[in-house]
Amino acid sequence: MKLILSILYIVCTFLCKNVLSFALLLLSAVLLLLISRIPPRIVLRSLRALLFVMLFTAVLNLLFTKGETELFAFWRIHVYVEGVYSAVFMLVRIMVLILSTSLFLTYTTTPIALTDAIESLLSPLRVVHLPVHEFAMMMTIALRFIPTLMEETDKIMNAQKARGVDFSSGGLIKRAKALIPILIPLFISAFRRADELAMAMECRCYRGGKGRTKMRVSHLHASDFVALLMMVLFGAAVLYLNRLGLFYTL
Amino acid sequence: MATVTLEHVSYIYGKGTPFEIKALDDVSLTVKSGRVTGIIGHTGSGKSTMVQLLNGLEKPEGGRVLLDGADIWENPKNMQAIRFRVGLVMQYPEYQLFEETIEADIAFGPRNMGLDEEEISKRVREAAAFVGLEPELLQKSPFDLSGGQKRRAAIAGVMAMRPEVLVLDEPAAGLDPRGRDIILRGIREYGERTGSTVIIVSHSMEDMAAYCDDIVVMYQAKVFLAGTRDEVFSHAGELASVGLDVPQITHLALLLKKRGVPLPDAIYTVEAARDCLRTLLQ
Amino acid sequence: MTMNDIYIHAKNLVYAYREEDGLKMPVLHGISLDIKRGEYVAVLGHNGSGKSTFAKLLNMILEPESGELVVAGRDLCSPELTEDDLFALRREVGMVFQNPDNQLVATIVEEDVAFGPENLGVPPAEIRKRVDEALETVGMTAYARHEPHRLSGGQKQRIAIAGVLAMRPSCVILDEATAMLDPVGRREVIETVERLNREAGMTVITITHYMNEAARADRVVVIDDGRILMDGTPREVFSQPEKLMAAGLDVPQCTALVHALSEEGISLKGTPITTEECADLICRALEEKKNGNRNA
Repeated sequence: MKLILSILYIVCTFLCKNVLSFALLLLSAVLLLLISRIPPRIVLRSLRALLFVMLFTAVLNLLFTKGETELFAFWRIHVYVEGVYSAVFMLVRIMVLILSTSLFLTYTTTPIALTDAIESLLSPLRVVHLPVHEFAMMMTIALRFIPTLMEETDKIMNAQKARGVDFSSGGLIKRAKALIPILIPLFISAFRRADELAMAMECRCYRGGKGRTKMRVSHLHASDFVALLMMVLFGAAVLYLNRLGLFYTL
Repeated sequence: MATVTLEHVSYIYGKGTPFEIKALDDVSLTVKSGRVTGIIGHTGSGKSTMVQLLNGLEKPEGGRVLLDGADIWENPKNMQAIRFRVGLVMQYPEYQLFEETIEADIAFGPRNMGLDEEEISKRVREAAAFVGLEPELLQKSPFDLSGGQKRRAAIAGVMAMRPEVLVLDEPAAGLDPRGRDIILRGIREYGERTGSTVIIVSHSMEDMAAYCDDIVVMYQAKVFLAGTRDEVFSHAGELASVGLDVPQITHLALLLKKRGVPLPDAIYTVEAARDCLRTLLQ
Repeated sequence: MTMNDIYIHAKNLVYAYREEDGLKMPVLHGISLDIKRGEYVAVLGHNGSGKSTFAKLLNMILEPESGELVVAGRDLCSPELTEDDLFALRREVGMVFQNPDNQLVATIVEEDVAFGPENLGVPPAEIRKRVDEALETVGMTAYARHEPHRLSGGQKQRIAIAGVLAMRPSCVILDEATAMLDPVGRREVIETVERLNREAGMTVITITHYMNEAARADRVVVIDDGRILMDGTPREVFSQPEKLMAAGLDVPQCTALVHALSEEGISLKGTPITTEECADLICRALEEKKNGNRNA
């Protein structure tokens, strides 16, 4: 359910086309943040990680949007008012996108529930013989092993540092070369882990999705429908504000 | 031939988060040059953190780490040179092997030091001999070796840098008795032959009793006891009281003393117990 | 012993690894062994002795080359063995492996414990019940919603045991499950399976190279070079330290002490396993000597 909501929300962010609807969007994101009671510091950290991508898109928009009102020109670069608008919009859009997905999914949902949701959403595809269960299982396992492998990377890096590898100096080629003593052991270890895990799963009678049950069956509650209704209203509001066409419209 | 000193060293994990853990709390300690020192304690007692402080992989929160009297953080740019002097073997080091042959892998450290080929090959052979790897194994791929052999190759990889201080974190973990003895004996031999200072971190009191000269007992981020084997094991009762696994033979000696059998304070090897009881029983 | 009491029956069991070039590398050369229902057996052997291979044959992770193998009433060498038989066998014979990180599937403890019964198609309400019970049994109820990678090694292995228990097995095999743990973790795991053995009558087979663990079992089987070298009570096995040492193994220090004294001409009667037994033995010898001196 959360998954459907967040997909709808993402669609909404792309529908936003003018100042007003963007203002509504920002407001809704802030409200959601407040409701979720997630420490702002953590949210900011997740934003910081993608700062580069955000800035890059903004700059691209700034430079390559052609409009009528030229703001200023420098050498062969023309910056238009439209470009500034679209850059700002893009920035807000990505920000809200990251905020909302992380809000809806990673911070308030366990990974297992998430993969379960994906599995049930994709389940209609089973009719055309897509391995939906296997895909969901793969995601679970990937999520489970990310911290383990990160820890392992750290350990291997320390071990190679102790043998005199220097990761922090030298040119690009030298640094790339320094990665070999990390990547090879890491790959080998990942394969070994995969092998052992497969064996352990077989021992626990795993044989794909066939005849499998779930401990947690997700049911829809009244609150879920209320949330869905609100989301539809929100989408409608965005569309309406777009129509008004006040100020600037993309 | 190098002395390692910790001066009021503190280290905190996850500082500023709710998960803040004090790993080392104002620890002062001198590891004597040319001796084998065992650092022992529970998981989470701070012993593994200490190891990473010794060669500058981690920086102490407070206090200083001294190598022959000089602070290793005095010139952080020089850390690589410190790491060649203080060789560190991490836990389960067999997972760091990556070269095509054992020989190339052992040579990796010395090559990073910029030694010439002749010296490298000399050191590889010498290091392999310390840990009892037969010369014919050197041309094999690490993946054709048994677990115990891989472990020995990884340890040889650090020995080949001929560090003045050799630090090993749980070098015998998970090995069977024979594999364990080969490795611990090899490590002692390295210390004796090269005069290097050796520091072994372990949670096996039995191994430490058999292979170390000095013992440091860590408990709740502090040094609980430190001294020669005899000194530390004369406090065997206290060790047992904080839940450390003293060797079974030490347990036995404590039990016998309680029952009035006149035994000396520190018994930690089967041989010592045998000799004492022989005189009593003959 | 009737056929009914025998849980595992192996006769002339042979296993060989197939190398890439098709060559066979023999690992087990004819293991014959009967294990009773409810027995607590330690299988000792150095690394590469074949002890882990033996364990993996018991729930058909590996297939025997030749010989007889009957586990929980199923003939594993029968050509009629179906896939369903295989899963029924694996439900009954649970395995816990060496590396605690490589056998937990899910990102939340209770979800991981549920993995086995989910695979078996157990109804949701029943799974919930089994998961709660299993976590209770291993003393990890408080950690039900935790992430496994934040737990200690011993705790992870107890979760793995809970995962096995939720399938309602009749036998638990620990395949060097304590090798990567510290002494505290090792104790947690051993005490957990010992409780299962005593209280639920579960058959427990522990593959190990720790002598102190083997000393606690009802029976010790020593495998060396793919063959059974010794088989008996811990006392019987540890009374032959030379034979164990030759197989790359050890004896508990107390047993070694009594043996060392006997080599010096001081023979104490018996093979003590525990510290208390050994202390009793020595005190008795000292007492006898005192009396002897007085009489003389």
